[in-house]
Amino acid sequence: MTNRFLLIASAILLTAIGLTWWLQSRQVQPVAITPSLTDQIEYCLTCHADLTEISPSHPVETYGCVLCHGGERLALDANLAHSSMRGGNNQSDLSVVEQSCGGSNCHSGESAEGQDHIQRVMTSIQSTYAGAIANVRYTYGAQTDLTPLFGSVAVNDTSLPSQTGILHLEAFAISSENNQFLQTFGENCLTCHLNSTGVEDSLSTRFTGCSACHSPAGESRAGEIHTLTTAMPYTQCNTCHNRGNYDLRTMTFVERSDEAVTRLESYYQPIGQFTQCEYSLDCVDCHTRTEAMGDGDIHANQKDIEYVQCKTCHGTLTELPLTMTLTDPEDIAFRLAQLNPLMDLQVGDTILVTEQGEPLWNTRLLPDGNYELIGKATKQLFIFRPVMGSACTQDGLEQSSAYCHECHAVEH
Amino acid sequence: MRPNFFQHIHPPTIPAEQTRWRYTLGAGGTAIFLILVLAVSGALEMFYYIPSTGEAALSVQTISFLVPFGGLVRNLHFWAAQLLLIVSAVHLIRVVFTGSYALQRRFNYLLGLALFILVILLDFTGYVLRWDTGIQWALIVGTNLVKTIPWIGNSLYKALVGGAYPGSATLVRFYSWHVFGLMLLAAILMIWHVFRVRRDGGIAVPPPKQRDDIVRISRKELVRVEVVAMLLSGSALLLLSAYFPAPIAPGITEITALSGAASAPWFFIWVQQMLKWGDPFFWGVLVPLIVLTILGLIPFIFPKPASQDLGRWFPPSNRLAQIALVVIALVITALTLVELRPVQ
Repeated sequence: MTNRFLLIASAILLTAIGLTWWLQSRQVQPVAITPSLTDQIEYCLTCHADLTEISPSHPVETYGCVLCHGGERLALDANLAHSSMRGGNNQSDLSVVEQSCGGSNCHSGESAEGQDHIQRVMTSIQSTYAGAIANVRYTYGAQTDLTPLFGSVAVNDTSLPSQTGILHLEAFAISSENNQFLQTFGENCLTCHLNSTGVEDSLSTRFTGCSACHSPAGESRAGEIHTLTTAMPYTQCNTCHNRGNYDLRTMTFVERSDEAVTRLESYYQPIGQFTQCEYSLDCVDCHTRTEAMGDGDIHANQKDIEYVQCKTCHGTLTELPLTMTLTDPEDIAFRLAQLNPLMDLQVGDTILVTEQGEPLWNTRLLPDGNYELIGKATKQLFIFRPVMGSACTQDGLEQSSAYCHECHAVEH
Repeated sequence: MRPNFFQHIHPPTIPAEQTRWRYTLGAGGTAIFLILVLAVSGALEMFYYIPSTGEAALSVQTISFLVPFGGLVRNLHFWAAQLLLIVSAVHLIRVVFTGSYALQRRFNYLLGLALFILVILLDFTGYVLRWDTGIQWALIVGTNLVKTIPWIGNSLYKALVGGAYPGSATLVRFYSWHVFGLMLLAAILMIWHVFRVRRDGGIAVPPPKQRDDIVRISRKELVRVEVVAMLLSGSALLLLSAYFPAPIAPGITEITALSGAASAPWFFIWVQQMLKWGDPFFWGVLVPLIVLTILGLIPFIFPKPASQDLGRWFPPSNRLAQIALVVIALVITALTLVELRPVQ
């Protein structure tokens, strides 16, 4: 053994050290954040620095990423970092929403404080699809009445006492249906509920869970959507309510074939009449949190939970719409207004309320007796007047929206 | 010039035959080098590793991604451990295939086999210290195998796991075994093993009168050979560690859940395959113990190699021992390959 071997071996080791050093120097420098709610360092921003903040009410300095999304907060390897994320790319999927968005300080809190979003959504008609399932099963003779027995997933009503008396739904299962049509229904038609992402690559494509509504895709409908908002444009509602329809003979979903040019054309009901405000405003300008997310009870039908009518804002010939004057700075109306700061709502302002007492926080009574409404998504200002004192000649007993449409629908 | 410390711990001169690569394969010496690497890299890891169920996996991630050169040190520790197993196996095979275990070296053969078992146990305990979902299956199945041993199984399980199922007591016990208990035993046995090599007359070669090659080399030359070996194996280790990171997975959240695919560490995959055949005690405990016993009995039950055959590859005089080892190695390799074959 001569020194030559020693030299060669040393050269090889030096080369190995050099290569290792070069590789080490190419490694990314971690970007740390310590969210105040967890006080635990996380390195997600090393790669996700250019992600826009999800919403002003979830600032990244407070929440960080891992509290909601899960994942390995210290890992700088993409596969490892993402391996334990909840719900894949959508942590608001209803199967994981309690861990992601829940907790008594967040969205599964007290109903008195309006913080029980998750409990309500779980049992809501939008999530269970119970009414449609019951109707179709009844139509094909699989059940003797329209009482809902099945939901898109099994669900229990945990917010007792129940006003509807429906305490439990079994999960609808294709395998336990005998009728071939019901099996096809299960295969093709269960796409319009919060546990489904909708028909693939269509107008109906969207996220599941909270993000089905609160993470609007916007114009592009592509790429990463990192948004949570309460200002949902009607286009997001249209991902389900989009004028496509189910064909009961073939049990298939038929997408609308025409191309909507105007807002009125793209309105979701294939038949029906619409007044100007129905196609000028966004759905969420009138329809309330309870209507969209449920009231905690399991309902049999959309009609059982939808209650806002024309008269909610316009009143009737004999009555002005219900209003309340805000006296408590802690009123939920202020919290809702803060989430989508459209108008400078003040203590002392009088706003419209629904017959169930839900504040229509984007409205205000004006000194001249008219009302203002600011579109939640469009930020457009609308001034409108009550029916009382107008030239309306409607029968006082016929005050549901259908009767208003008789005169005020755009077709007339 | 008086010998320096490293030269001093070697014999003044040794027969050149004992240092030939083609004879020793350098396996024993490389094993010692790898153990030194493991001791140093392991000691460095101990500054950051936290042996608690909540923080173990996170601290491994901290080491891997955030501590300067932590990932490299962890990879070095991982690869040195894997290579140590391979090198130890090669060393064992070399000793059997050259009949070097015979006569006065029978005891040192047993010491070496005990060291081999300790290396396996150190590898397994170190593997468990990750405490992530990657080790969950092996931890639960491995400890449950202990339970199947008649009479003493349950007590042994409690002593090993420290409770009814793996938890924080288990992690601390595995940690203590890894960094203290097994390490101490391995250190003692290693020193004893090396001492016995020298006491038994150095690496096995024929007695002086039966030797063809009578060249001797000085300890200076010997140290130089060892340094070359260290530089080369060090380079290989460094490159492996730089380009192939050690496995890592998300931390365990629910220890009792035995989810996911079966995944033993690679050196136990043959046992994983046998466990599919039925009785876990027979296939998971007894059969590996029988294999170990056969290995231990090689110097005692098979015909002894002739003294002039020492230091020769495949001497005809211990053919039976060679065949026994080949059969064992082939069966273990075949079982591993069967288990690893891609699922159709």
